[in-house]
Amino acid sequence: MRALTRLATVATAAVAMATLPAAPALADNHESAEMDRIGDHPDLNGVWQVMNGANWNVEPHSAGPNPLPQGDRILGAIGAIPADLGVVQGGSIPYNEAAQERLEYNRENVITYDPEAACYLPGIPRATYMPHPFQIVQGDGDDILMVYEYASANRVIHMQEVGIPPIDTWMGTSYGEWDGDTLVVTTLAQGPGLVKLPAGEMVEGVTWIDRAGNYITNNATVTERFTLREGGNHIDYHVTIEDPSILTEPYEMDMVLYRHVEDNAQLLEFKCVPFSEHLLYGDLIEE
Amino acid sequence: MQMKKLSAAAIGAVLAVTGVGAYAHHSFATEFDRNRPIRLEGKVVMFEWVNPHSWIHIDVERNGSTERWRIEGGAPSALLRRGWNRNSLPAGTDIIVDAFQARDGDTRASAAEIRFPNGRELSLGNPTTEAVAAARRRAQN
Repeated sequence: MRALTRLATVATAAVAMATLPAAPALADNHESAEMDRIGDHPDLNGVWQVMNGANWNVEPHSAGPNPLPQGDRILGAIGAIPADLGVVQGGSIPYNEAAQERLEYNRENVITYDPEAACYLPGIPRATYMPHPFQIVQGDGDDILMVYEYASANRVIHMQEVGIPPIDTWMGTSYGEWDGDTLVVTTLAQGPGLVKLPAGEMVEGVTWIDRAGNYITNNATVTERFTLREGGNHIDYHVTIEDPSILTEPYEMDMVLYRHVEDNAQLLEFKCVPFSEHLLYGDLIEE
Repeated sequence: MQMKKLSAAAIGAVLAVTGVGAYAHHSFATEFDRNRPIRLEGKVVMFEWVNPHSWIHIDVERNGSTERWRIEGGAPSALLRRGWNRNSLPAGTDIIVDAFQARDGDTRASAAEIRFPNGRELSLGNPTTEAVAAARRRAQN
């Protein structure tokens, strides 16, 4: 009788074990309502992506055909621009008089002169809202790394006082600090320098912040605020752009970053230099 | 789960700071001739901070005319490590360069360092060219 009781106990325990939920597996598969923390700070590790049309145009816009006549004709609705409520607070970017010439030049040459089409680096904040995921790599007290699927762009956020970057670079130089539970990142010195356009011309480049030709200069200070929401699967992303050379006043952008929660969430490869070859060098290629 | 500590230096060594994208890096020997050294003196016109090599554009008075030469230096990351920044070589600066000419006859050459009229030297962070220049000095001794 005792043996049967013991067997029953073991059997019950075995059944109970089998129905226990599996131990929390991957750090980036949050199901709990609590925010994970690393040291004193929220854990931003993971693969993130926006779900908006900011990369087409950060200002509110209706749906429309592909801006290139040949794009419209060949791609139809596949090349068309979806509608978006816009991410710029107040709806429009406060450009000044000095900005108009370059703005017109960009707008007349969307797609063709867009650094994204040439597989040039996107700069900040555009890298955040490209139609590709990006990954945040955060340790305990170290510099933070952000890696973008688009063109393998990446940046180190130096967790130190804001300094003077020694040179202009495509992605700028980023300095970070924690303001409570918000990661504040200041990016300076974004400057492409001389840029090659399709069919050979070299011009002084500026950082495009979307496909519509909106831009910032290397005088800009871009301040980003990353605030992880309760639940750990969304980041409120707030950007302030100050650029006195082309703006009458600073402006702000808001959007949500969504965590990729699928089990196999990862960055894939989008090394786009070969894809831009015909655009940039088509005049030199013998067909 | 303990996150592995990321050393900033290790990250920096891996990341590209500037530049368009990766493309095949040609060798010194295919582009420049180690047996055709040239001394160029002139005014800096502009400095290109690009990968895989930076380029100094200088105007040189030679053969009765002004020639625009492009001098190959090291990559921006190598220059930054040697203390270069945006103010290191302003337009209008007089420099003297001992460089190796391009094989194709273009006004292009590769250098290991530049000198200023006051004698000060500045390394260009160009390792292959440094090796070629060092070998040349050894051969001459």
